[in-house]
Amino acid sequence: MSKKTFILLLILSLFFMIAIYWTVLTSFKPPEEVLSYPPGFITANPTLEQYNKLFTTADSIFLRYAGNTFILCGLSIAIVMILSILGGYSLSKLPFKGCNVIFLLVLSIMMVPYQSLLIPLYDLMNKLNLLDTLFGLSLIYATYFMPFCLFMMKNYFSSLPATLRESALIDGASELKILFKVHLPLAMPAVATIIVYVFLATWNDFILSLIFTSSSEVRNVQVGFMNFATSRFTQDWGLINAGATFSIIPSIIVFLVLQKYYVQGMTSGSTKG
Amino acid sequence: MTLRQKKNFSGLLFLLPVMIMVGIFFIYPLIRVLITSFQEWNVMGGSKFIGFENYTAALTDDEFWLTLGNTIIYALIVTPMIFVPALLLAVVLKKTSRSSKFFRTIFFLPFAISFVASSYMWKWIYNDTYGILNYMLTSLHLISQPINWLGETWLSRIMVSIMVSWKTLGFSMIIILAGLQGIPNEVYEAASIDGAKKSQTLRFITLPLLRPTLILALILSVAGSFKAFDHFFIMTKGGPLKTTETIVMYINKVAFEYYNIGLGSAISVLFLIILLIVSFFQLKAGGFSNE
Repeated sequence: MSKKTFILLLILSLFFMIAIYWTVLTSFKPPEEVLSYPPGFITANPTLEQYNKLFTTADSIFLRYAGNTFILCGLSIAIVMILSILGGYSLSKLPFKGCNVIFLLVLSIMMVPYQSLLIPLYDLMNKLNLLDTLFGLSLIYATYFMPFCLFMMKNYFSSLPATLRESALIDGASELKILFKVHLPLAMPAVATIIVYVFLATWNDFILSLIFTSSSEVRNVQVGFMNFATSRFTQDWGLINAGATFSIIPSIIVFLVLQKYYVQGMTSGSTKG
Repeated sequence: MTLRQKKNFSGLLFLLPVMIMVGIFFIYPLIRVLITSFQEWNVMGGSKFIGFENYTAALTDDEFWLTLGNTIIYALIVTPMIFVPALLLAVVLKKTSRSSKFFRTIFFLPFAISFVASSYMWKWIYNDTYGILNYMLTSLHLISQPINWLGETWLSRIMVSIMVSWKTLGFSMIIILAGLQGIPNEVYEAASIDGAKKSQTLRFITLPLLRPTLILALILSVAGSFKAFDHFFIMTKGGPLKTTETIVMYINKVAFEYYNIGLGSAISVLFLIILLIVSFFQLKAGGFSNE
């Protein structure tokens, strides 16, 4: 990398970071400074006032939104994990007649946008009494976030030698034991990819939560945040920026910690596919 | 049971949860949306088949064409804005070093942020009275009056696209990077022995070998822009005068505000078909069918 490119990239990075900096900065400004003109690029009196307001307004409903979203993330990660570990092992090590048809069917989910299935899904959730529940919403997340994970898990198990299963089988281990005791410990990078992929997709979802939940007790953080931001006559930008900052912290932490696995998973998905 | 039967049985058993989930939450809704698109649906219960009436209604509906047009225009604007910088950055950051790793993280980071949070962050930057963008441009004397960035049709399309480019180009960059790193070094060595210039190497070696990856990144980004909802819902609310209302916003409105299930289903099916056709042509252009 030449010095010139380096400096150009550095300037570009500054532009990239300024949006995040501006939001974080505004969230720590005292209310009277938020709407001052010209805007200050630093603040002399950082305060937690906006956050205090964010977390105490309407019986701390914002914390409830965040809690709901953590539950949703946990549920959908768990369901996707079970489906793609069992399914991936079956497709790679125990192939049976017709299993490829099922695999193609699952992959076709990636081509069909769930945005076109909102009407029948709403009707289905209504019939199953799953509307406006965290569990119901997580089932939809799991279905539509699973194909990529199953695909990756299958690839990962396929890359492990067949002798692994055979020798364990001779030792008299059951199929379930071979999967969880022998194969899964070797597939931890793929597990990490699933965690970061499903976490980000669930935490950041807006449209599914908007449509399949209606009461504030089960709303996720994105829809809750939007309600918060639009519920007043004049937009309270200090509060909005505090909400934005708070809502991006979990995704940024998970992303930075597990970034390596996310990139690995995307990479194997895009080159092997 | 023989060993082989036992193996088949466990294979089926292990795939069963996937089959159940996909059957209930994907296959069933897919069939249902096709059926209801041919029905007149009564909220009070009861429905009857009415042939292609919903489709005729959709295809003669001005708002359907308007929102479809809006979505296509947006896809045409935002795709190059994501794609060109992503390709350039991927080429520049191809070699793994400490600084290139750092820059990759910086450019990929906004991808972790939700569309909702990004929309509010940029709405604040674009704010006509207190926004930092108007402040900077006026103090540099580039504009004399503050601009209402999200108030005019074309301008708001471009401003929303800038936000989307900021948020998603890192993802395309990572996919393209993976493709670049898959090109063996020997090819470049051979080219340099033959005396190829840098621009020639890019034109005749990198781009052709990278085509499948580029097409994949393109499909993901075009399909993503066709599904646009969150950011227009928040940044422009479809305005001014519905000129930034996207097709998914319209489906949502017809189904969940007007409760016109038949029409909503027909538009959903049309949307699905359009998206499949667009992806199909991109795949063909990438030469996937020949390989």
